[in-house]
Amino acid sequence: MAKVQVLNVAVLDNPSPFGNPFQFEVTFECMEDLPEDLEWKIIYVGSAESEEHDQTLDSVLVGPVPAGRHMFVFQADAPNTALIPESDAVGVTVVLITCTYRGQEFIRIGYYVNNEYTDTELRENPPLKPDYGQLQRNILASNPRVTRFHINWEGCAEKMEDSENVDPAPNSMLPPSCTPGKAPPLGLLPDNSMDCL
Amino acid sequence: MKLLKPSWVNHNGKPIFSVDIHPDGTKFATGGQGEDSGKVVIWNMAPVLREEDERNENIPKLLCQMDNHLACVNCVRWSNNGLYLASGGDDKLVMVWKRAAFIGPSTVFGSSSKLANVEQWRCVMILRNHTGDVMDVAWSPHDVWLASCSVDNTIVIWNARKFPEIVMTLKGHTGLVKGLTWDPVGKYIASQADDRSLKVWRTMDWQLETNITKPFSECGGTTHVLRLSWSPDGQYLVSAHAMNNSGPTAQIIERDGWKTNMDFVGHRKAVTVVKFNPKIFKKKQKNGSTPKPSCPYCCCAVGSKDRSLSVWLTSLKRPLVVIHDLFDKSIMDITWTLNGLGLLVCSMDGTVAFLDFSQDELGDPLNEEEKNAIHQNIYGKSLAITMESQLSSTIIENPEMLKYQQERQGNQNPNEAQGIGPENQTPKLTNVLNGESLEDIRKNLLKKQVETRTADGRRRITPLCIAQLDTAGTAAVNSIGMKSNLLLTSASKIEPMKALDSRFTERSKAMPGVTSVPLTIGITPLDRVKDSSSVKEPKGKDETSSDSEDKIMVKSIAKRKGEMEGAEVVEKRKKGRPRKDAKTMPFPQVTFLLSKDPSRLTTPIAVLKLPTPSIQKSFSTQVSTDGVTYLEVENEVSVVSGSRLSQLKWSREGREWDVLLPSRIIIAAGSSNVVAVACEDRTLSVFTACGRRLIPSIILPVPMSALHCSGHFVMALTASAMLSVWDVQKQTALVKNESLNPILSGTDATVSQSFLTQQGVAVVSLSNGKTYCFNSSLETWNLIADKQDSLVQCTDFRNCVSAQDALGSMGPLALTQGRNLSAGRLASRLSSTPHHLQQGMTLAFLEKQLSSALILLSASEYRHWLLIYARFLVNEGEAVREGQCHCSQG
Repeated sequence: MAKVQVLNVAVLDNPSPFGNPFQFEVTFECMEDLPEDLEWKIIYVGSAESEEHDQTLDSVLVGPVPAGRHMFVFQADAPNTALIPESDAVGVTVVLITCTYRGQEFIRIGYYVNNEYTDTELRENPPLKPDYGQLQRNILASNPRVTRFHINWEGCAEKMEDSENVDPAPNSMLPPSCTPGKAPPLGLLPDNSMDCL
Repeated sequence: MKLLKPSWVNHNGKPIFSVDIHPDGTKFATGGQGEDSGKVVIWNMAPVLREEDERNENIPKLLCQMDNHLACVNCVRWSNNGLYLASGGDDKLVMVWKRAAFIGPSTVFGSSSKLANVEQWRCVMILRNHTGDVMDVAWSPHDVWLASCSVDNTIVIWNARKFPEIVMTLKGHTGLVKGLTWDPVGKYIASQADDRSLKVWRTMDWQLETNITKPFSECGGTTHVLRLSWSPDGQYLVSAHAMNNSGPTAQIIERDGWKTNMDFVGHRKAVTVVKFNPKIFKKKQKNGSTPKPSCPYCCCAVGSKDRSLSVWLTSLKRPLVVIHDLFDKSIMDITWTLNGLGLLVCSMDGTVAFLDFSQDELGDPLNEEEKNAIHQNIYGKSLAITMESQLSSTIIENPEMLKYQQERQGNQNPNEAQGIGPENQTPKLTNVLNGESLEDIRKNLLKKQVETRTADGRRRITPLCIAQLDTAGTAAVNSIGMKSNLLLTSASKIEPMKALDSRFTERSKAMPGVTSVPLTIGITPLDRVKDSSSVKEPKGKDETSSDSEDKIMVKSIAKRKGEMEGAEVVEKRKKGRPRKDAKTMPFPQVTFLLSKDPSRLTTPIAVLKLPTPSIQKSFSTQVSTDGVTYLEVENEVSVVSGSRLSQLKWSREGREWDVLLPSRIIIAAGSSNVVAVACEDRTLSVFTACGRRLIPSIILPVPMSALHCSGHFVMALTASAMLSVWDVQKQTALVKNESLNPILSGTDATVSQSFLTQQGVAVVSLSNGKTYCFNSSLETWNLIADKQDSLVQCTDFRNCVSAQDALGSMGPLALTQGRNLSAGRLASRLSSTPHHLQQGMTLAFLEKQLSSALILLSASEYRHWLLIYARFLVNEGEAVREGQCHCSQG
């Protein structure tokens, strides 16, 4: 069973200007002392169309983690605008918070993010080149999408090298191109790919 | 009899495999399948029992849900004392749960239902041994053992007093073991398996007592569970699925000789579960008629794959009641309330049903005394009490009795209870948050949390511990967690694109932005079905898993007894059971007793007494020289529940942290590595430069006189003139409570200055101008400087000091001797003295300086004095010593 349960994630400084750092206050509970650190990541999805535009905003180690209830604030810089397709700058996208233990992702928390101009003039006539200084980021904090994966808490993942740098569960996502504008076909979504047990 | 299907008790349509009512009757647990895990849910019993409670939105229905099991939960069982819940599942694990105190409600983060867990049940033990799905778990009488059985064909007996110790693994079944029951007397445990056998094992030696196969020879392994049951009088054991003349039965096995002459017949499909009523009954006596002695009897509920439930009294040849089509799928588990009048049944179809009997229907339950009398009649006293030597003569069968006994014990020694109460409980709360509210912590969490860089340059955050996993007792739950839930940032009104759904791996159908309908809405009075009303069940109704209000599937209720027919609904039990927490001790008023004024402490009178600093409201000190670091102390910064808190604040170039301490701070000291504070309550606390507590408070015998930090070393000089130096990094004592007696006795001098070198050498200067350091390897006090020393004044080595040497002379030795070393002050006046005398004095002085620098481990000063010494030797042509100097330099 999962040794770490995420109890709450509060989105701080929200809504905020696009350039502000992301701040998530994470409360989690640990059943027993963890000999190793947890690794948390914030991944900003630059474009719904392709994973290529995903940016890992930051990753932190959290530890030591004794048994008990803990909290911390995970702050990460705003995404690099140069890596975001101009057409996707305004509108809805996603920010993901993932946590891995011993290289295995066991929880993925997704939030919808809406980037829009606060200025009505800009909103009605958005400039071709996005004006990031005028954009406001609004995270739909009330509706986190949480996916939990069963992992082997006692040992390491067999494929450490795979999960080291890349997005740890790329297989668990469908290519977004196959479901534009449609609800994802439920049956096709693969089950937890990280399930090691 | 009344029948109710509380539609709000569900696992979102997923099967419910097990149900068990808590022994105090206030709650019940269900186990089954969750979204992608096993699920255990604890429900409030009151809304099941009372319609007004069901309607009252302030009364929670769901108390706690636990998704910790990795796979389907097959069995949930409360311990007899009600403190623990055991659950077994397809993940091969048995988990033991306990209610956690001090942790407030919380939700399952990200779950669609935003219902908070009202109670916190925490997995306190995971029992790993089975190599296959765990099918059934059972607590022995008095909770001495916990038994679990599995599809790995074994039964494991766990020591419930010393989890996870295994008492015995019972091997012998050759098929999946699907049910367990303890003999109420504690002599046997019985198991039923797919190998067409029922085995009875002795608890004395854990050997097989009997193996019953005949009634099961025709059985196929078709049921998910085989939950058998032992009658409360211990006389009968009733099996699950058995066959008699090709018909499914529940086999009755007599304790006496394990005879199998009777069975419960009538179910059309295999019997999955049998559950005896915990009470023994005797015939209801009619008013007016003369009481005639009647044989006590037992009551047993039988559930089957044929979706029907039958309730039998051992005094009747036919069932008391049979309820057909109660569910859409097989019945999986049955549980009785402790009073014997209520019955909860769960089904694979994901619903539960509650049956409420009246005493008219079942009879008068025997009280515990009468039940004990029966046990003693049959088994003798020794058996009835089993091997529990520490139990008093009565068997504690239920929590009420336990509570009563505890109360009686409590009354006997009220003084003791009051004396230890508050002190025992206060630290539990303050330990974690230091009295600071979660709100305050949250406000500054980002600033305060300790962030470091690992060797490879990665950010590492030390999380702030806000609660320990304290599972002791079921005391008052504070509202810490409640606040955190309310603080979820309010929703914004954005309409996300669905394409993005694919970026989440969740298989949720729910539209983002649409709030899910709270489960509590689905309750209407329609759900309450009285026995006189029968609702036609439309077969083939839509099978949505949504909680439609009118999903009632009661077709017909067989009524056997005339007196039940048309009878008024039996009057509702008004008294109910006391809510569990109604009787728990109120949380004692937190009173923090400030320790007495240190000056009035009755410590053994020390010969020597050093002054202790007076307590100031606030003060600040600069601690570290590299990077301007300040320590600010503010005493009694706030008062929380009677205890006065003091604040220690550390700041260096904009970075800062603070900690709260429960006692007033007398002295604070710090280095670039550690910060130490001595408090009024004679504790010494040590923190890292990042504000993390390094060691629990050190208790000092007497108040602190002086405190110094340097590097990782902490030096404490107490009022009784005892010196201690610790290396808090290596956690060793360099100087252990060493008395200043050798240097102070015989003088009327006092300590004028004390400090600690970077290397952890303690230096004490006295008002008579002498300075000593403690040599921990020799365990001696060494004189390192004496302002009155005539040698110093007569030395002359000025021609050996070069200009660039000035820097090297800085260090602890220079500090003790004063910047303007008086050395040579008298030298000019001593020109008349013979040269060889002055030469000798200078040499002696220089050698003293050298050894002092060495003992202080002051490298730069040693080098400084060594150079002077060497030059002096060269100038004066002291060949012999030159050679020595050479050696020491090497």
